[in-house]
Amino acid sequence: MEAKAAGISFRDACAQASARIAAMPAKQKIVTCPLCGEQFLGFGDLTAHYLAEHPDSAAPVELRMTVNGRACQLIIEPQQTLKEVLQYNLGLTGAKQMCDRGQCGSCTVILDGKPTLSCNTLAADCDGKAVETVEGIAVNPKWQPLIDAYCKWDAMQCGYCTPGFLVAAKALLDRNPTPTEADIKEALSGNICICGTYPRHSQAILEAVTYMVKGGAENA
Amino acid sequence: MPDTTGANGLREDFRVVGKANLPGLTSYAMATGVAKYGTDFTVPGMLFAKFLRCPYPHAKVRSIDESEALAIPGVLDVVKWDDPIFSELGANPMGGGGGGSYLPQEAHYESQEAGCIVIAESEALCDEALKALKVEWEVLPFITDIFKGAEPDHPLIRGPELIEKEAADYRPGGMATAEGHVLMTKHYPTDPPREANVTWNIKVEGDLDEGFRKADFILEYDVNIPTCISTIPNPPASVAYWGDSMYKGPGQKIYIEGAPHRRESIMSMYHKSSDEVVQEGLFQGGKYCDWGLRKSQEITPLLSKRMGGRPVRCCNTREETFDLNRNERHMHLRLGVTRDGVITAVEDNTLVDNGAPGSSTMGSVSDRDWGGYYTLRCKDITQRFKVVDSNIGFMHTCAQFVPYNWDSITVGFDLIAEKLGLDPVEVARRNLHGPASQDDPNPVPSFEASLELGKKLMDWQWHPAGTKRLPDGRLHGASFRYAICPRHSFMDYFCKLEYRDGVVHFPTQGPIAGWFSTECFAMIAAEELGLNYEDICVDYDYREKHSDQAGGSDGVTGHGWIVKECANKLKRKILESAARQANPEPGAYRGVFGFPAPPSPLAGASADELDIVDGKVIVKADPSRFVPFSRATRENVTAEFGGYSPKSAWVTGFGRILDTMNTSWCEVAVDDETGEVDILKYCVVPDVGKVIRRTSLESQIDQVVFFSQGCQLLQDVVHDPETGVRLNSNFLDYRVPTTMDVPEVTKEILELRSGNGAYGASGISHNLANSHLIITAIHNATGVWVDPPATPDRVLKALGKCEIGGLE
Repeated sequence: MEAKAAGISFRDACAQASARIAAMPAKQKIVTCPLCGEQFLGFGDLTAHYLAEHPDSAAPVELRMTVNGRACQLIIEPQQTLKEVLQYNLGLTGAKQMCDRGQCGSCTVILDGKPTLSCNTLAADCDGKAVETVEGIAVNPKWQPLIDAYCKWDAMQCGYCTPGFLVAAKALLDRNPTPTEADIKEALSGNICICGTYPRHSQAILEAVTYMVKGGAENA
Repeated sequence: MPDTTGANGLREDFRVVGKANLPGLTSYAMATGVAKYGTDFTVPGMLFAKFLRCPYPHAKVRSIDESEALAIPGVLDVVKWDDPIFSELGANPMGGGGGGSYLPQEAHYESQEAGCIVIAESEALCDEALKALKVEWEVLPFITDIFKGAEPDHPLIRGPELIEKEAADYRPGGMATAEGHVLMTKHYPTDPPREANVTWNIKVEGDLDEGFRKADFILEYDVNIPTCISTIPNPPASVAYWGDSMYKGPGQKIYIEGAPHRRESIMSMYHKSSDEVVQEGLFQGGKYCDWGLRKSQEITPLLSKRMGGRPVRCCNTREETFDLNRNERHMHLRLGVTRDGVITAVEDNTLVDNGAPGSSTMGSVSDRDWGGYYTLRCKDITQRFKVVDSNIGFMHTCAQFVPYNWDSITVGFDLIAEKLGLDPVEVARRNLHGPASQDDPNPVPSFEASLELGKKLMDWQWHPAGTKRLPDGRLHGASFRYAICPRHSFMDYFCKLEYRDGVVHFPTQGPIAGWFSTECFAMIAAEELGLNYEDICVDYDYREKHSDQAGGSDGVTGHGWIVKECANKLKRKILESAARQANPEPGAYRGVFGFPAPPSPLAGASADELDIVDGKVIVKADPSRFVPFSRATRENVTAEFGGYSPKSAWVTGFGRILDTMNTSWCEVAVDDETGEVDILKYCVVPDVGKVIRRTSLESQIDQVVFFSQGCQLLQDVVHDPETGVRLNSNFLDYRVPTTMDVPEVTKEILELRSGNGAYGASGISHNLANSHLIITAIHNATGVWVDPPATPDRVLKALGKCEIGGLE
């Protein structure tokens, strides 16, 4: 499969994804009070500050989860969604906000092996769980054929919903490495693309499957 | 018209242009999630802002008590509509913003920004603060049912200032037809005066009475087109802060992400030069001929300034941006028709939604001078638009999916066919004029070619309505329509190409909105320079002048023509430079560090005797004498080209001149027991003139077909009749098609090379949008008309088998 591209190459994009994963804080050392902006050296100090200064407000909670293979220890607000934590606390923007309420699939991530809508998932409920985002998929060489096929077939126009589709596709291939077109349509039916790229996803996934089943990709 | 005025417009030997499956320049960034859109940007220490939004279709803020909101820890400010800071804003050239009216006290549609903006340490706190505001709303009369709104005794919904402003919108200096009609305006000096909430827009051509006298019979019918919604995938958002300018001093430079449209709007609103507005982000999400800049994208610099330079982020939710992409209209048609099926008169009385104040004319009356009626030989045509002010929603600059009046006439063909027992394709053929004018009796080659292919693809065998059942018992129906292929040529474009260190650079500011235009331009440049697509180095830089945006996907063709000319200019300059370096002045030193260079393989040849082929600069008479393109010259060579592409028939003819056309075809099965409609076949045969980038061209067709399908089978805006509140501004209740809904679209693309763009290319998409192709096929199946969306309950109701809300 050809992957030569003008513009931003697979390697460029992967380097950026990799850098973003590397930049995720393993542990928040300095935490900022989300209400008054005051900074503290740890969760304990922040909790004490809340009790003293904001007794009527819900105090932040600690969250430990693995994101794209890296352990993270975060301090989050209890109402934060997984989508918000990925963006605001970890700097990952692959999961996109489109519908705000679990109707479009753009924010799809894989949570403990299952495709999950991160905008509808409270981050606090993800304690101890493993999250895989599109950035994590991108840096795994196993999935290069899928990404190559997506780019070759223009399985995107404006590109905003594309990561959500790609994560859903990866989740499908995890559970069914040789899907039919009907399987693909069903697996992606929770994702909305306003640009109408639907047939391109099937084409891309089927082509990637052919390549991957032939063993052309290096398994990670 | 073919591309005969520019360089190589009639080229036959394409190496790059027309290729499929070349990855987009930024596709890898988009697929891997590293592409950042407005809503993705975060800046350390940023604050959040949110607008108060009107919960009613029409209401005015009487007062706001913000004391409880400000008492919430982390809520920093509430900026109200009468705050003097808004007077600092200049106008947004794309139609919004500006001056003291930036944040209105009165909202004219539900979810419109009005009254105040809250600023807090987090988005959740903004929401909490909005809930804590004590807002006294004065609920005002509203119109969400335009039939009721058109009644003379309905209370006025717009004050005199707004009425006067819209009446003044007539722009005599604007775009005009060959007959001098001004386009894109709602009001003409000849229109009758306003009556309550109704204005008129009337166009009379020919003699309607005479047209009806020539007819053997008169057909009367209604075409009802419902409102549909524009859902830009990424909720508009921006984050901005103020930084230091080396020249103007501290805090004078705006850093903003998420404000698309080439920074001009922000520059104008904040009175800044291009050097003082930084926007590096490339990705702006889907734009479907919607060029408005939303308030969330333009307000953040002002709020950041108010907050002492701290970054401020402002974002919308999906529900807040369920804006209109097509206004509701109800067309009552009277056609005079001869017994041969020839139309002699068209009388169109249309009731149309004017939208909220400031809505685009493209949603209401702009098709009075464009489109289907003028493709007819008939010249006796009257269009009377009864335009009703409403509070249904706001329609931004334009809409990709306005089907103009094509559907009203193609529905007419179906009815004539039904009455006379003629194939509707034949009816269309008898009525379509020739390519040169309405008097031209010749066939349009593009139309004929499209028909021939379409009929073959469909195995087209027309039958009268309700007369064919499939083996499984369902009713079978089929339909067809035609349109011209649109393209822009009413705006000027600019291109710069540079040969630097052996590589051709194409600098552009982007932004990227989803139609792969830079890729098309790079392909055209490569074609003209004898290079490969990958050889063109596209440099994205927000400071560059070139932008993809002008003209959208249809504009790619005219814009591509400018790139083609620029590439040829660059080629000429490269060859001149190569010849100059290969033929130094007698006695001039040629070499490096004292080592004389051997004679160039091009020595002795002039620029005219050189060419660029397959990545080499060759001597035309002896191609064995060449240098690699990367060593053509050591000089930096730059070419710029700007201006207008040749005028397109879209602009000059408005349907009276016909070049590239398309046909669309649909076959359905209707279950008259359940009301379910299945699309069995959907074929599109567009004459795109010349394919530039096949993969994205096909995707553009898919998009417009799926949109049209969604509007005819699924999408329906529902208002509470008592309160006027919209009940389904979300993707659960307002259903758009998914992978499980869309049909396979069979495409046969024609390339007759008659468009006005590069190599005779035309645009695509706009006029493949339709409101009634599937509806007409349902009629052919069942013999009854179902107003879109043809949901099963509506189909059964039309068949007399159920009432809305329950089976018989």
